[in-house]
Amino acid sequence: MATVTYSKATRIYAGTERPAVDHLDLEIGDGEFLVLVGPSGCGKSTSLRMLAGLEDVDEGSIYIDSRDVTHLPPKARDIAMVFQNYALYPHMTVYENMAFALKLRKTPKSEIDRRVKEAAALLQLEEYLGRKPKALSGGQRQRVAMGRAIVREPQVFLMDEPLSNLDAKLRVQTRTQIATLQAKLGITTVYVTHDQVEAMTMGHRVAVLLDGVLQQVDTPRELYDKPGNVFVAGFIGSPAMNIKTVPLTEQGAVFAEMIVPLGREQVAAAQANGGDGKITVGFRPEDCDLVGATEGGLPVVVELVEDLGSDANVYGHAALDGGSERFVVRTDRRTMPNMGDTVFVKPRTDHYHAFHAATGQRL
Amino acid sequence: MRHGKYPLIVAFLVPPLLLYGVFVLSPYVQAFQISTTDWGGYTADANYVGFDNFTRLFRDDYVWNAIQNNAILLAVVPLVTIALGLFFATMLNMGGRGGKAGVTGVRGTAAYRLVYFFPQVLSVVIIAVVWREVYHPNNGLLNGLLKPLGIDGPTWLGDPRYAFWCVLAVMVWSNVGFYVVLFGAAMQAIPRDIYEAVLLDGASRFVTLVRITIPLLWDTVQVAWIYLAIAALDGFILVQLMTDGGPNHSSDVIGLRMYNTAFASDTRFGYASAIGVVMFFLTLSVAVLALRASKRDRIEYS
Repeated sequence: MATVTYSKATRIYAGTERPAVDHLDLEIGDGEFLVLVGPSGCGKSTSLRMLAGLEDVDEGSIYIDSRDVTHLPPKARDIAMVFQNYALYPHMTVYENMAFALKLRKTPKSEIDRRVKEAAALLQLEEYLGRKPKALSGGQRQRVAMGRAIVREPQVFLMDEPLSNLDAKLRVQTRTQIATLQAKLGITTVYVTHDQVEAMTMGHRVAVLLDGVLQQVDTPRELYDKPGNVFVAGFIGSPAMNIKTVPLTEQGAVFAEMIVPLGREQVAAAQANGGDGKITVGFRPEDCDLVGATEGGLPVVVELVEDLGSDANVYGHAALDGGSERFVVRTDRRTMPNMGDTVFVKPRTDHYHAFHAATGQRL
Repeated sequence: MRHGKYPLIVAFLVPPLLLYGVFVLSPYVQAFQISTTDWGGYTADANYVGFDNFTRLFRDDYVWNAIQNNAILLAVVPLVTIALGLFFATMLNMGGRGGKAGVTGVRGTAAYRLVYFFPQVLSVVIIAVVWREVYHPNNGLLNGLLKPLGIDGPTWLGDPRYAFWCVLAVMVWSNVGFYVVLFGAAMQAIPRDIYEAVLLDGASRFVTLVRITIPLLWDTVQVAWIYLAIAALDGFILVQLMTDGGPNHSSDVIGLRMYNTAFASDTRFGYASAIGVVMFFLTLSVAVLALRASKRDRIEYS
């Protein structure tokens, strides 16, 4: 059981200007399931590998509990990792794969046997213990990789996109398995993914990274309801939030004929710091209504309707500021428009997000 | 293209096959035939003597002496070369632990790799000549280095106790570089994350080599073993140029025995061919045995 603390941890690859991870400050609580999420190249894997000791830390430090592990070799950190490609030892059986680390630690044979059997039972791998990895399916290999981490009983679990090699259905199953397992074992876990659905469903808290910089750490709920900046707003949620930069007046943000009302403080804040009379406003596809032509909605010409069964995603364009902007609306199936229709979209009051046009910060 | 396909294929295949048949296969076959005669090599008269050459061969102490030396080469050269090759390749590819995280080679890997490969670009003849000079008792590099240490070096190649081992050392030296590169390339093909998993599991470099690298490289090691075994059964060029089998036959090998039987003082081609035939079967059985003994499951990476 342990906490993990990144303190201004920085990684600069030789020959590059921009740090891969830039002064990362992050505290992970005991038994917490923290997800690092972001687009590829955002430094999430590098952050994880720094914690594992597989990457150097060029500046700052990393602590597990109060122990400074910044420059300790991986084996001295008491961590276990699940790799994207599982990294199973191909010449060893499932049993040997799981027992390897324990054997190296000179754990007594009976103890190794007990722990491996326990983990195998937990992961439904008992009947495969004598097999080699090549005789296993992708899902089974993934579970062996989990098993290898579990038998170590480490202080921290690290998982680097462990589900990305599984097919869609298995991924959803395994997602819940891992979350359940983590809750049961109560071991602090850092989990890297590029998939925001995994992040939102598995994490106690989610850290969003972009270009090596931590954007926001919060519970999935908060991240969704109160994204801290434009990037987080656009990254979390599917289909993505409608985010537009539009002219600003005293009344609010001007979407052609429609005005999205804003508070006085928001307007003032938007005008400061080079706001240049503009404001960035976002609203989620599910946070708006289709209204009648006279009710002051934004006219959107429908181009594509995705019928999801329970509801539908409506994609279309609206004339805005002389240009044509894309919008997505999630609507009830019964009010589903047809292609080519013009619908009038109105974001629900208090369900829109305002950001500074220049800095992208939440107002 | 269907029309006239076969004439083209035949046109390309026949010349090389013909050359191979005339210059490689037919001498092999002829050797079997010659080995049953008492042919002297320079005259046309050859009498069929049946298996006389072979029965004589089995009682010939010079032949047994040469075979014994080849047996020592066979036991020592592959083992030492592969061990050194694996050790150096490991150090060059994943040996670095000096403060850097992750899996890297030791500092100066590129330079080492170049230097190790040097012997491979030299002709064996040059290697033999160079080392003969190194081993020279009076103005050789080796004794020159020993002298300041107060050691009066032996005559090396002139001493029956050392000559064979000196040649053996050169044989290993000239081969190691190639196997460093071969094993290095095979190691590059092992997914990096396996070695990262090993680091996290906490294996030392030695354990990593024995428990992970060697099992994963087994196919390559097996190939290396067979090559080196065949090379160890030969050894003709180095021995011929460095010691000519001497002193007092102490460094003789079977290839040289055959050569000297055929071309030295007495030209006994029939007897030499019999030695050649024995050598052929020895090499063949060693290769087959090496393949059999080292057979294991193929490794597949997920």
